[in-house]
Amino acid sequence: MSAVGIRLPLALAGAGRFHGGPAWFTVGACVAACLPAGLRWLRVAQREHYLGGSATRFAIRWWRSTGPDATLATAAIAAALASLAWPIAGVATAGAVALGPLGLSLRGRTSPLHWTRRLRTLAAAWAAVEVVIVAIGLVTGLPAPLSVAAVLAVPLAVDLACWSTAPLERRLSAPFVDRARTRLQRVDPTVVGITGSFGKTSTKGHIAHLVRPTRTVVATPASFNNRVGLARAINEHLTDGTEVFVAEMGTYGPGEIADMCRWCPPDIAVITAIGPVHLERFGSEDRIVEAKSEILAPAGDVVLQVDDSRLAAMADRAEADGKRVLRCSAVDRSAEVCVVRSDDGSRVSAYAHGAALAEGVAMAAGIQPSNLAIAIAVALVLKVDPAVVGARLDDLPQVDHRLQAVQAASGATILDDTYNSNPAGATEALVALAASNRQVPEPAPGAGPGRAHRLVVVTPGMVELGPRQFDENRRFGTAIAEVATDALIVGRTNRRALMAGLASVGASPTEVRLVPDRHRAVEWVREHLGPGDAVLYENDLPDHYP
Amino acid sequence: MPEVAVIFGGPSPEHDVSVLTGLQAARGLAVAPGGAGGAGVRALFWTKTGEWYEVDPGLEAEAFLEGVPRGAARLQFTAAPGGGFAEPGGRLGRARALELDAAMVCCHGGPGEDGTLQAALDLAGIRYAGPTVAGAALGMDKLAFGAVMAAADLPTLPRAQLLADPGPAPFDGPFIVKPRYGGSSIGIDVVEDFATAQARLAANPHLRFGAVLEPYRPDLSDLQVAVRTWPSLELSAVERPLRAEGSSDILDYRDKYVAGEGMAGASRELPARIPPELEKSLRQAGERIAALAGVRGVARIDYLSDGRELFVNEINTVPGSLARYLWVAPPVPFATLLADLLDEARQRPTHAYSAAGADGSVLRSAGSIAGKLG
Repeated sequence: MSAVGIRLPLALAGAGRFHGGPAWFTVGACVAACLPAGLRWLRVAQREHYLGGSATRFAIRWWRSTGPDATLATAAIAAALASLAWPIAGVATAGAVALGPLGLSLRGRTSPLHWTRRLRTLAAAWAAVEVVIVAIGLVTGLPAPLSVAAVLAVPLAVDLACWSTAPLERRLSAPFVDRARTRLQRVDPTVVGITGSFGKTSTKGHIAHLVRPTRTVVATPASFNNRVGLARAINEHLTDGTEVFVAEMGTYGPGEIADMCRWCPPDIAVITAIGPVHLERFGSEDRIVEAKSEILAPAGDVVLQVDDSRLAAMADRAEADGKRVLRCSAVDRSAEVCVVRSDDGSRVSAYAHGAALAEGVAMAAGIQPSNLAIAIAVALVLKVDPAVVGARLDDLPQVDHRLQAVQAASGATILDDTYNSNPAGATEALVALAASNRQVPEPAPGAGPGRAHRLVVVTPGMVELGPRQFDENRRFGTAIAEVATDALIVGRTNRRALMAGLASVGASPTEVRLVPDRHRAVEWVREHLGPGDAVLYENDLPDHYP
Repeated sequence: MPEVAVIFGGPSPEHDVSVLTGLQAARGLAVAPGGAGGAGVRALFWTKTGEWYEVDPGLEAEAFLEGVPRGAARLQFTAAPGGGFAEPGGRLGRARALELDAAMVCCHGGPGEDGTLQAALDLAGIRYAGPTVAGAALGMDKLAFGAVMAAADLPTLPRAQLLADPGPAPFDGPFIVKPRYGGSSIGIDVVEDFATAQARLAANPHLRFGAVLEPYRPDLSDLQVAVRTWPSLELSAVERPLRAEGSSDILDYRDKYVAGEGMAGASRELPARIPPELEKSLRQAGERIAALAGVRGVARIDYLSDGRELFVNEINTVPGSLARYLWVAPPVPFATLLADLLDEARQRPTHAYSAAGADGSVLRSAGSIAGKLG
């Protein structure tokens, strides 16, 4: 019947089966199912910054995450195989893919689909991939199986579209980058480039605070840390007359920072920390070290935290290359800049080149001494008077959602550490939670039987740790068991790992609860916690995570 | 249909406050009689880096959090006749100019309130509400404004130019050091002695273009009144702004603006409970200042007082929220205020360029240029 198609010799019997009414019905159902499936995975791609490979990764994660979803996935694949012989079975595949994964909604709660120009381009490219697959089916006389393949492969098709549109997007962003380059040359500020696996945003905020009284300073706004974001920050925020531009440079893979440094070269290069963050995309921590070190090349001054041996080695190499290096530490007084916390954790003292800059300054728990040391070092490189720097430590603002302490209406203490989570930060957060217990006053005598104070941890665990994700989360679970009275595990992404860790501490009184989303956890906290209790919200995952 | 533009934003520390004022004015104009009605209001956003965009007048403040709002259309501005604001032409089309009947200037601080923007609009032939070039420049220069007040025998605190030259202080401390130009709330220091004041010149980046020195008088508190001269000279109720709990002694930026509604949200005593004689001298001074400073549009005059003595402090020629919250006694609705401002924009010109006298006689008798140079 296929007069225009190429007749492939087929081992399967009855090639004529593929051209009946049922076959076309299947084709229709699959094409229709592509729509909801496409919306789902396009949203994931958008949330994952259009990185190729994310949609497939998340698809695998979602379809395996619960019993019903795994069943649905198995049914879909089984039906797809069956459709080779009975095309009508493909309708079941279409139905499964249209419905699931259950829990990954079409529109999204925390992060709905934004129909930006870039997403529309991606959607068009994805649609083209799907059309090609179906067209191959029509041309080869296998419309039903290929439609079923098309609907099963939606996440893969989204990734293909991401990869193929990446060069186009780069070309489209070129005029903005050119404008930014020109503007930067005209305004000619001293550029401080900051990168690191974590601590970038906090350190950037500290630098701006310390430098503000004596220089006009502009820092890149939150999350404007990639090529397009940096260009936008320069084009829209770098006012004429700015003397210091603090640019946060983030990266998901090697070469990105080198690329940004080509048109926004830092005069002062800063690396805050190295850790297993975005490990999935890098592959290994060594590659993370390499990628971050790209920021050092154009700079004359380098500021590094040297408590990490890899960064200490980098400092030595930079010095050998002829750069001026300021080493910063949270423990070693012999480093050029050192900031240490007092024993009870409530104060810090800062030392520069051996002399004390400030001693015993009250400092919120969420401020990391190493980040502060780096900020002080940068201020000194910018020739801010050390006395001014010391004085500015008095009113250093808390960083939003980085171990930010607030008092709830119920009287409980809330530690908000939801911005992002890395293993080191998670450990610090638990220390802070334990410390908040010590600071609670004893109930007045005669006030009635007090109940034990509760220390609660609410967390979905940590993500993007690649092959280390299970182990790091299990370790986190163990650490939680040693501190907390209650643990609420949010979502399914790290549930098994966290529970394994919690179970491994035998005599722990930690009560574990499983909640599907943070909303439910907050309700529980509101209901059960009161004065004297403390809750730590560690990390928060958007709803495109299972 | 004649269209009205609302201009806000700009390269200034009060950029964000200006966004609030501009959005409030755009909403107010949408319902104002004699305004343009909903269809005829165009919101022109001036970015921190000096670029121009047209945005939806119905936006909320948070749309501007990251910079240029989504969906904004880039504009080009030409400061020449037949220029003004235009949608840039693409490869196929020519630039399409915006035909504007009048513009409501809602820019605070920086080039939006010091005459720069006003001059550009004059050159482009766009009629606008608010101060003229001269009025804006005088209002922004604390030293010049103080000198004009003193020369007119209006009561002011001593105010001197702060220079690094050696020599005695012009008056006793403690002192307030302020940037000579710029918005009234940014970059102010209180210092104990003259040497420290002079040291601030090098250290405080806001003093780079000039600084003024005044005595620090914590016994004095602020009093503010708004004034307009169209359709006739009129002063609003007098306000005593209240400082937030635990803030520093001088009404600073965070007190004034971080309450959430811009100037309209700050806490205040309105009308201020002051002795009638004080109110009378305050109003009389206000009327004189309106003439001396060439007030056009709505200006807000800031005084300092301890309840008995009165001192003129500063004038703000484009005040936050266009000082709409001050017009309570007698009440002037925001819509009326806006309509009158637009009326003034159309009927009271801001400039008159003249080439009279350039009749060619000088050119005819010039001889050769080379001859003049030799």
